[in-house]
Amino acid sequence: MKNREITLHINGEEYRLNVAVNRTLLDVLRDELGMTETKYGCGTGECGACTVLVEGKEVNSCLTLAATMDGKRITTVAGRADFGRLDHIQQAFVDEAAIQCGYCTPGMVMKTASLLAKNPDPSEAEIRHALEGNICRCTGYEKIVKAVKKAAATMPGRAAAVEPCKEVVQ
Amino acid sequence: MSSRILPDFDLLLPQSVAEAVELLSTHRDRITVMAGGTDVMVAMKFAQSPAQLMSLENVPGLAYVLFDPEKGLRIGAKATVADLLAQAEVKRHYRALWHAAQTFATGQVRNTATVLGNLLRASPAGDCSCAIYAIGGVVVLQGSSGRREVDIDDFWLSYGVTARRPDELAVELILPPPAAGSRSAFKRMTRVSEDLAKLNVAVRLEMSGNTCIDARLAMGCVAPTPLRLTRTETLLKGRELTAEVLQRVAASVQWEISPIDDKRSTAEYRKQVSGVLLKRAIQEACGAA
Repeated sequence: MKNREITLHINGEEYRLNVAVNRTLLDVLRDELGMTETKYGCGTGECGACTVLVEGKEVNSCLTLAATMDGKRITTVAGRADFGRLDHIQQAFVDEAAIQCGYCTPGMVMKTASLLAKNPDPSEAEIRHALEGNICRCTGYEKIVKAVKKAAATMPGRAAAVEPCKEVVQ
Repeated sequence: MSSRILPDFDLLLPQSVAEAVELLSTHRDRITVMAGGTDVMVAMKFAQSPAQLMSLENVPGLAYVLFDPEKGLRIGAKATVADLLAQAEVKRHYRALWHAAQTFATGQVRNTATVLGNLLRASPAGDCSCAIYAIGGVVVLQGSSGRREVDIDDFWLSYGVTARRPDELAVELILPPPAAGSRSAFKRMTRVSEDLAKLNVAVRLEMSGNTCIDARLAMGCVAPTPLRLTRTETLLKGRELTAEVLQRVAASVQWEISPIDDKRSTAEYRKQVSGVLLKRAIQEACGAA
């Protein structure tokens, strides 16, 4: 087949699409649906700018064939905001100024979402290991690591139970 | 340079192993098989232009990692590197493989890339390939005339070429059950963590006290395929692992490997550090008993 009818569930909305089989998930999100919040970086699965969640797991959308995603639940960084209100991870990146040019940020936020879902209280080493697939060429990662710590500390429903990170308080 | 544009191809989406094998026997060399796709997609963006791409996405029942203390570990063709890491028995009984999986590429790639895909890529740098070579095992291939098992020792024929015939589908990998006194370790050197290894090594030792009864040593990035260091293995077998024996083992490695200069390292550097890395892997395996 050269084209395939697929249904994608993106950020809670259902999309019925007819996609060319040689289109990546990233192509479809950006070029066909206009969801340009997910970025094209290297195209080879090294930089993580195109990271989205598929069924809750982070993947490189530049290496994912859209035609094989029929029926899948996909979350992009825009799916984390609720009617324009940033969630705790996005807010932590703003508060810690973990952004310079901002190009890597959507991927960083999605990777952080996946990390905190599995490990709500990661150590700095665990955060750095988790972020190995997301490259930032501006910030030197210090502020990004702080943002992930802050996101962990401010996760809804656990703020009272968790001692805030010392680094964040300072 | 990479391109965001994939070539034109026909997508085949078989619904079963039987249908996949039938398609392979009909189209043979014209088909490229894709499971996770982290290698195939990159290859297609650079150069490869298959007439037909067969995705295993809709083939059910191949995403398993099953441990049986008597029979060993069975890894299905669609099991990802992340699926391996989710199994406590892999960490306990197959340490070299667990460690290779843990350092493999990035979280995003581990969620998508399959363990069998790493073997089938037949790259000398594959981390899981290196660990599996040291542990030993068989690849199960399903063809139109039935199943056959290929020992991992006979699986890689040359760079990028395996013993899989064009009409066969690799359906699973079986690793041997853990034996008492058996231990393994994996080490790699790399530039940055998401990059491929510049050198990797894995060892499996059968120990009785401090004496090595049997050894399998595998090294990557030093030959056209992952390499077993069979001559160096003989220096370990039946010996007590004294500092002197380990020194002889480390010194032997450079005579068995044939590394090249490439963008990740030089042949000279690889020769210099290969023995040291092997010695450290042996020490780690013994220490992690």
